[in-house]
Amino acid sequence: MPGWRSLALLAAAIAGFFLPQILGGAAYGALVVIALFAVMAYGLDIVLADLGEVSLAHTVFFAAGAYATGLLATRAGFGAWGTLAGAVIAAAVIAALLGLLTLRLREFVFSLVTYAAAVVAAAVAHNWDFLGGSDGIVGIPQFDLSIGPLSLVARNDVEMWPYAYGLLLLVLYLVARFRRSRLGILAVMAHLNPRLATMSGVDIARVRLAVFVLSAPVTALAGWLYAYQRAYVGPDLFETYFLVLMLTAVVLVGRRLLLGPLIGMALVLGQEKFLSFGGDVDAIILGSVLIIVLAFFPGGLAGIWALIFRRRETAAPAAPAAPRPENAT
Amino acid sequence: MSEAVLEADGLRVAYGGNLALDLPHLALRSGELVGVVGANGAGKSTLVNALLGWSRGAPRVSGQVRLAGEEIGGLPTHERVRRGLLLVPEGGAVFSRLTVEENLTAAEAPADASRRGYSMEEVFDLFPRLRERLHHTGSALSGGERQMLAIARALRLGPRALLLDEPSIGLAPRLVLSVLQTVRRLVDSGLPVLLVEQNVRAAIEVVDRLVLLERGRILAEGPVAAMRDDPRIIAAYLGESVA
Amino acid sequence: MSLVQQLINGLILGHAYALIAIGWTVLLGVARLVNFGHGQMYMIGAFMAWWATAPLGLPYPLAILVAIGAGLLLGLVMQMVMLRLTLEQNLVSIMIVTLGFGHVLRGAAALAFGGTPQILETPLSLVEFEIAGAWITAQDLLIVGAAILVFALLRLVVEHGRLGRTARMVAEDPKLAQLAGINVKRVYLAVFAFEGAAVALAAALVAPRTPILTSIGFEEVIVTFVVVVLGGIGSVMGSYVAGVGLGLFTALFGGFVSPAYTTAAAFAVLIVVLVLRPGGLASARAVR
Repeated sequence: MPGWRSLALLAAAIAGFFLPQILGGAAYGALVVIALFAVMAYGLDIVLADLGEVSLAHTVFFAAGAYATGLLATRAGFGAWGTLAGAVIAAAVIAALLGLLTLRLREFVFSLVTYAAAVVAAAVAHNWDFLGGSDGIVGIPQFDLSIGPLSLVARNDVEMWPYAYGLLLLVLYLVARFRRSRLGILAVMAHLNPRLATMSGVDIARVRLAVFVLSAPVTALAGWLYAYQRAYVGPDLFETYFLVLMLTAVVLVGRRLLLGPLIGMALVLGQEKFLSFGGDVDAIILGSVLIIVLAFFPGGLAGIWALIFRRRETAAPAAPAAPRPENAT
Repeated sequence: MSEAVLEADGLRVAYGGNLALDLPHLALRSGELVGVVGANGAGKSTLVNALLGWSRGAPRVSGQVRLAGEEIGGLPTHERVRRGLLLVPEGGAVFSRLTVEENLTAAEAPADASRRGYSMEEVFDLFPRLRERLHHTGSALSGGERQMLAIARALRLGPRALLLDEPSIGLAPRLVLSVLQTVRRLVDSGLPVLLVEQNVRAAIEVVDRLVLLERGRILAEGPVAAMRDDPRIIAAYLGESVA
Repeated sequence: MSLVQQLINGLILGHAYALIAIGWTVLLGVARLVNFGHGQMYMIGAFMAWWATAPLGLPYPLAILVAIGAGLLLGLVMQMVMLRLTLEQNLVSIMIVTLGFGHVLRGAAALAFGGTPQILETPLSLVEFEIAGAWITAQDLLIVGAAILVFALLRLVVEHGRLGRTARMVAEDPKLAQLAGINVKRVYLAVFAFEGAAVALAAALVAPRTPILTSIGFEEVIVTFVVVVLGGIGSVMGSYVAGVGLGLFTALFGGFVSPAYTTAAAFAVLIVVLVLRPGGLASARAVR
């Protein structure tokens, strides 16, 4: 339905672009990182919210994107377009391998395997000189997407912002399209009722693989840009911090809300930047938020919101006498 | 008329704004076999689940449930079980990975001394087939044998009242008759039984009273002799919605 | 290093692995639960044992008890928070919640114990024997002994006796177990408390071998995972055999190929096995 809605979306997108300017110069750095990490989270979002599987390997894709970028840029002299391709391909290949290996496994074994893969990848990155060992890869050149006479360079956060923002918008668009696509709908079917889906002719294994492989490059793109932003790639990218960060961003606001991961990421990173109590306490806060949301407010902030509003609206109906505390089973 | 062993007053189960069950009163007396019939979705399973204190999703349940005069509405499921309210859920619920013997001995003893669970001998008298299959695992039993084992397991716990959720499902007609006749024998020995059945024809043969549920409400109820000719019951036979 | 030394090391390591994994064996076998905070609970167990000995000055046996107590408490608290999810059998949320707990534990440990690597010194580590040309310490013997003892006890309890039967009933069908009068909540709490206590015990015994840092624990999760899956989910004997086997493999691989990539190699072995036999090596039991 074109018209007003598209216009409003366009206006919002344009307004968003100017957000850092409105917030003041220091905001550029924070917003670039928020945009980047939000993109990282969207890759996980597809797998978790739509497919309903817990992939703990997305840190690998993030790191793979960054490492591919770092390696290709410093060793093979690739420009930003080349490293972009490299990041996407690396992530897709790894995802395909992992996916094929876990094709016939039950979900929780799948999660365990992805977790193990991440730990092993981290160990490899720490020890393999080719990947720079524990020192990582330094000296990543400037971000340069220039095509012909058009100069598209980012030397700092301010100049990086348009690209980070553009990437974010692109990913938002892709996720929205995915959810309306056939594969997206099949994914949700497989998630909600695998037996029924199979009996409707859906090849669940293939759907799982496809979604998994599709989600990897999204997260890798975040790694790609992050490599340039930090100008350094190292094994610290495999830390579970990123994993917990992604998971929290995805579940905090509510499942399958398009802007959910973005808002979630903004909230979490906002806390870290503006209300930090030191790295360790922040870790405790982050983990606790994740636990509390899942254990007590599975609908996330959106769920709490709905709860408040539903309570206000509905007057007590011809209510049964004393609501008995039900044994939640 | 003996006192009600199991009684429910104002039992209501609501999912959101939707009332799945609304029973002003339900009573089960000693030595009585009450059949609850109705089409799919009429609320039969909701009823037995609510009596036991559990439900899928998070519905609001209200009302009182009394077992032998004692209010059990606030107790968790396993407590109600220990006080003598037993449910045999549909599908012949047994532990497939345990043997018949283990299934029967695994039952926790009744919580009080005033009741006694069936001994193994008594169980085998009732269901001789189980003695033959003593060391087979649950998964190796036929549908009928599983149903027998499920009922036997409940008896081992010394029930004050027994709820059976669609015991006839998946069973051949001859077996259905056999199982229901065994249930009748149990009732005749004093055990009150609430039988939820889709198979109205079979239920009518054995029950004392019949309750017809539709969309969570009691459409009709009464002694089976009187209900047999009720057009609504006949319609229920044929699976037509009556209201 | 001689082959005999490697083999002996492998056996000891294997028993350590089996002991570390035993909490998961019960968790998976009884409650069909996973605990991604396992590694961090191991780390906390190690730190608690260290803290009890070094700063607090308690004798080693007491320190072990302190660690076990802490682990038990931790497991209990975790399960109390997650109870609703456990009863719903919401595995996805359980996985993420335990991951969150792991993260919290890491932050808390860093706050409490700082970033300095610590060594857990025990009197037994100093006592050495020579067996068939290879050296082992009394600590190593303790690990082996404890592992065998715990496994034997567990086997006895699980496969015979009421406790085991109750556990198997809950594992198969928690709802049906409730209908048989079992207090399923209590079973879940007990199982998680056991997991906490077991991994803490393992840490108290095994941690003396390496420096203790807040960042340890991840490799232990992999090891645990490999042991439990290879051994057949829920099989006590299987976990023991798989643990010892993995220990031997790790020692030999580390000794003759490369010490840095032993975890990667173990993971590779697991992948191969999973691809060939998705049910694990002892795929007797079908898991839901």
